[in-house]
Amino acid sequence: MSISLKRVQAIFVKDYKEFSRNYAISIMLIFPIIIALIFKRAGASLPGASGFLFNSSFVLLTCFAQACLIAEEKERNTLRSLMMTPATTMDVLIGKSSLVFVMSAVVLAISTLLFGYEPANIWAFVAVIILSIILYTAAGTICGLFSKTLLEASLSILPVAFIFMGAPWGEVLAKDYPVFKVLDYMPSSQLVHLLGLSNTGYTTGDVLKPLLINLAWTVVLTVVSIILYQRRLKDE
Amino acid sequence: MDVIQVERVRKRFGNKDALADVSFSIPKGEIFGFLGPSGSGKTTLIKILTAQLNPTSGQASVFNEPAGMMQQSAQKMRFGILTDNSGLYERLSIEENLELYRKLYDLPRSAVDKVLQFVNLSGERKKKVNLLSKGMRQRVMLACAIIHEPELLFLDEPTSALDPVNSAHIYKGLRYLNDKGTTIFLTTHDMAEAELICNRVAILYQGQIQTIGSPKDLKRQHRENVVFVELINGEAYELPIDEGTADQIADWMRRGLIDRLETKEPSLGDIFIKMTGSELL
Repeated sequence: MSISLKRVQAIFVKDYKEFSRNYAISIMLIFPIIIALIFKRAGASLPGASGFLFNSSFVLLTCFAQACLIAEEKERNTLRSLMMTPATTMDVLIGKSSLVFVMSAVVLAISTLLFGYEPANIWAFVAVIILSIILYTAAGTICGLFSKTLLEASLSILPVAFIFMGAPWGEVLAKDYPVFKVLDYMPSSQLVHLLGLSNTGYTTGDVLKPLLINLAWTVVLTVVSIILYQRRLKDE
Repeated sequence: MDVIQVERVRKRFGNKDALADVSFSIPKGEIFGFLGPSGSGKTTLIKILTAQLNPTSGQASVFNEPAGMMQQSAQKMRFGILTDNSGLYERLSIEENLELYRKLYDLPRSAVDKVLQFVNLSGERKKKVNLLSKGMRQRVMLACAIIHEPELLFLDEPTSALDPVNSAHIYKGLRYLNDKGTTIFLTTHDMAEAELICNRVAILYQGQIQTIGSPKDLKRQHRENVVFVELINGEAYELPIDEGTADQIADWMRRGLIDRLETKEPSLGDIFIKMTGSELL
C-alpha cells in the first residue's frame, strides 16, 4: 500500500488548523500537565502516581482526541470526501494520527519533566511511550470509526478508560478473583511494571516483557483500525 | 469510447430492489442525466460506480475497469464527485478547504484561484465555511470535486441548493468543463435542468430505467400528434397532423385568420408522468 508524504502532510496541516480552532478538544492538552502538577505536589514517590499520570494521559488525550477527530470527520461527511480523493488508507490514517502523536509526545515530555519522573532505563521508557501513543491512537481510531457523532465518540472512550486505566488496579482484585490476573496483560499494567523498575537493579526480562506485550497490543490494534477503516470505505 | 458501462446491475437492500437490471453506457464527452424522484436509486448507482457500494448482481465498469477498481488512487485522480455525502471542514476557510484538495491531488497553487473563479467565490475565499449559506457551501463542494479537472464528474443534485443565478453560473461552468472533455454524470429531479444541459437522459423510477435518449428525441417520441390552432376570432382547434389538417391550415393562412399555431411538445416532466403515472418529487 503506497504512502505519499505530501498527502500525509496535507492531512496533518489540515488537522492541525482544525484542532487549534476546536477548543472543546484542544483543552484536553492541559489535563496531563495539570495531573503532573498535582502529583508533583503530592510527591513523585507516591505509589502508582507515574502509572496513573501516563495511563490517564493516553486515554484522556491520545485516545480521546483521536476518537473525536475521526468521529467529527464522519459526522460531517468529510471522511467520505477524503476517501474519494487519491489519498490512500495509509495516507489518511498516518496523516490523522501524526497530529495526535506529536501532541501526545510533546505534552507527555512536558508532564514527565514537571512531575520529575526519572526512568530506570531511558531507552525502554522512550520505546514504551512511543508504543503506547501508537496503541492508544489506534484505540481512538477504532472508537471514532465505530461512532457516528462526536458525542458518541466521547462516550465510546469510556469503556477504554475504564478497562485500560483501571487494569493496573486489577491486582487488588486478582488476590480474591484469579480471573482478574488477565488484567496484568493489559498495556496499562505492563506500562506500570516498566515505570516501576528500580534504579538499583533490573533484569533484561523485566524490560523486554512489558515492551513485547505492548508491541503485540500495538500491532493488533493498529491492524484492527486499518481493517475497520477500509471497511468504512464502502457502504453495507 | 464508453467511459461508463452498466450491464444488468441490481442492488437489493433487504427485500427491496433499489436498482433492478439497470443497463446503459455513457460515451466520453457526454453530459448524461439520470432523472428520477428521491429514493429512485440515483445515488445508489453513483455509489456503485465509485466503489462505495457493491452491486448485488450485474457488471459496472468505469474507464474500462470494474467499478470496484475506483478505490485505487490512480483511478481517483480521474474522477470527481459531489453528492449528499460530501462534506467540508467547518472551521477552515474556503481557501483552506481547497488547499487541502489541491495538495491531495498534487496540483499547482494556481488551481485554487482557477476553481474559485469557476464557482464565483474568489471574493469570499477567506470566509470560514461555518459562516456560508447553503448555496455557497454547495459551490465550495463543487469546487472541491472539480479542482483537478477530472475526466469524469459525478454530480448528485448539484444545483439543488442554488438560486437561478448561481445555477446558471454552474451550468455555464459545467459546459466549459464538458467542452474541455469532461464526461459528466448528473442526477437530478429537476427536468428543466436536465433539458438545459444534458446530451442524453435516462428516467429512473422504482429502480428501473423507464426510457433513455436525448431530450429532443424523447420529446419527439412522446409528442402528441396534434396541432393547436387559434384563430383571430377566438376559436381554437386541436387537429390531428395529417393531409386534411395541412390543407385546412393552408386555407386559414391564405385568408389571414390564424392568430396562433403550435404543436404540443411535452416537457421531460410530462414524459416522466406519462411513463410512471407519478409526479416527480
